[in-house]
Amino acid sequence: MSKKKTKVKLELTRRDFLVVAGAAVGSVVAAETLTTGLLSPFANLKQQQVEGVAEAVHESGAGVFHWGMVINLDKCIGCAYCQRACSATNDVAEGMEWNIVVEEKNTAGNTFYFSRPCLHCQHAPCVEVCPVKATYLRSDGLVVMDYDRCIGCRYCQVACPYDARRFNWERRHVDDNAWIPTWGIPEVDRRPRGVVEKCTFCIQRIDKGLENGLVPGEDYDATPACVNVCPVEARVFGNLNDPNSKISKVIEENATLRLSEDLGTNPSVYYIPPKEGL
Amino acid sequence: MATTTLARKPSVWTPGFLAWLGLLGVLVVIGLVSAFWVFARGLVLTNMTDIVPWGLWITIDLSAIALGAGAFTLSAFVYLGGYKKYHSIVRLAVFIGFIGYTSALLTLVMDIGRPDRFWHPWAYWNVHSVLWEITWCITIYLTIMILEFLPVVTDLKFFDRWPWVRKVAHILHKAAPVLALLGVMVSLLHQSSLGATYGIVKSRPIWFKPSMPIMFILSAVAVGPALTMAVAFVTEMITGKRRVDHQILFNIARFSGFALLVYAYIKIWDLASVTYYGRMPAVNEALSLLYRQTAYNFGFWFGEIIIGLVIPIILFLVPRFNRNPKYLVLGAVCAVIGVIFNRWDITVTGLYVPLEYSPGTQYQLPAGTYFPGLVEWGVAIGIVGYALLMLTLGTRFLPLFGDPKPRSQAGQGD
Repeated sequence: MSKKKTKVKLELTRRDFLVVAGAAVGSVVAAETLTTGLLSPFANLKQQQVEGVAEAVHESGAGVFHWGMVINLDKCIGCAYCQRACSATNDVAEGMEWNIVVEEKNTAGNTFYFSRPCLHCQHAPCVEVCPVKATYLRSDGLVVMDYDRCIGCRYCQVACPYDARRFNWERRHVDDNAWIPTWGIPEVDRRPRGVVEKCTFCIQRIDKGLENGLVPGEDYDATPACVNVCPVEARVFGNLNDPNSKISKVIEENATLRLSEDLGTNPSVYYIPPKEGL
Repeated sequence: MATTTLARKPSVWTPGFLAWLGLLGVLVVIGLVSAFWVFARGLVLTNMTDIVPWGLWITIDLSAIALGAGAFTLSAFVYLGGYKKYHSIVRLAVFIGFIGYTSALLTLVMDIGRPDRFWHPWAYWNVHSVLWEITWCITIYLTIMILEFLPVVTDLKFFDRWPWVRKVAHILHKAAPVLALLGVMVSLLHQSSLGATYGIVKSRPIWFKPSMPIMFILSAVAVGPALTMAVAFVTEMITGKRRVDHQILFNIARFSGFALLVYAYIKIWDLASVTYYGRMPAVNEALSLLYRQTAYNFGFWFGEIIIGLVIPIILFLVPRFNRNPKYLVLGAVCAVIGVIFNRWDITVTGLYVPLEYSPGTQYQLPAGTYFPGLVEWGVAIGIVGYALLMLTLGTRFLPLFGDPKPRSQAGQGD
């Protein structure tokens, strides 16, 4: 029992140390060149990504645009047309609505209707937690997803305070969308099984519209489907950075609130509460 | 040479051993069938929903990684703390860590919606994401453990025919302290980041607190070595051979007991400040909902506190019990169950609490309900089968115990 001391001797010669250090440095360099460098099979993807970002900045003009929405709860009649138009235009499956409309009660017990698209937070928890930058904040304030990059870990879903995200638990059936063609024609691809999806403020219309010299929020073809279809004009869309835009004036003239502001998410969607209060 | 082979053969494949392997094989097959089913049809087969998007599999990930923490803790003992005599158990600890981490990664691949894109975190970096950091740390640490462990594998007779493999392994063996140090750093990072995964999510009132990462790492540091200790004792009970000095195992149990005490201390203050004194409206509402609608209270007090903390602390620290291997194994099993309870409580019950964002008073999401589905249990069974199979084969065929030098092995016989 006395001589139980087993000694672990550190027999590192200088040569060994250099070998280990060299291997470490070498693998870092190799990893860099193989993942993001020129030799990488992903280099092309990386390049596309960089170009994509550059393009987005060019198209939207950083700081020039900040797309936002005002939802007037006082006007909303709860017809849920916005929900249908959204589901048709973006080919959203039943039960996975990006844009929800629900009946609500204020403290006085009066009914009002509450609807919620993605709020496009400027400090979005979903953007922060995504391990692969599949969700990102564009320079024009939109929080959008790259469905080709999402790995389906669902952390964004867990982190989103507004329940704005839906996961594709299964491959969708061919004709599971009853709102087509009555409420619109799909303008974007269906999302595959295994990725999360969300409202984009109809990004396809905004980008295309700007290309064609239209003004999102004023021209029909460049405005989100939910805003266009609303029969009572409860939704206003536009550029929050332009003080002369319709949305900026509406916010200026009305008392507005944003959802769960205490979370510091800084959403781009403003609500006008019902006249009799909340 | 020939005589040893002849002498060894009949003792290896006893009927009991074969039956045990057969049982584990069945478990693994159940897991594989479930896995292929999920790959074919998608996660719709699970009981997870948009309300509770994480479930049993995430619980397994978190638990397996926590239980693998014996590897880095005991490595830190030896290479940082200078407690050289613990070297004889580091191999076993690293092997258990390896099993834990591979189990976690296998489950993770099942859990993500697009397993074909598992490599994306390496190609597309979001350095702000704790999950990105965890993915990196776990894969790096797994690599480190493989490198640390390679010399053990190449000791097998099988590698006689490739001497260059041994040479590489020898260099790695010399680098073991450096690797172990790297491993300790990376482990400290991701073990706590796993807690941060929950602790940073502000939208979930009962998750959002700074104590989360600390409690995760403390529980892992406490329970990981205890599991290693228990595996060493159980192996000894089955094979009847004393492979590791008992004093070392007793010391590990005592260390685990003290670590559990520290964990309990922080846990109790956390409980006091968050729920008793805190009274933040959102937290209060969430907890009262959990008390009313779920078994959260029972799970917490019975599973986490009594089974996970009180019993193991008594068994590990009270002199009457902590010299008896059977009590120590029992204590370790309790501690392991406690960690699993804890990870389940945090992940799943945390998600039960509905989000409240509407300005009105009526609408809120329904409270979540979740019980794992058939395929989820299937994969879980398969993972347990895989872990036990690896452990069985490893303890049987790999030189896991003791110092590689024959001199000290002879010394352990008496």
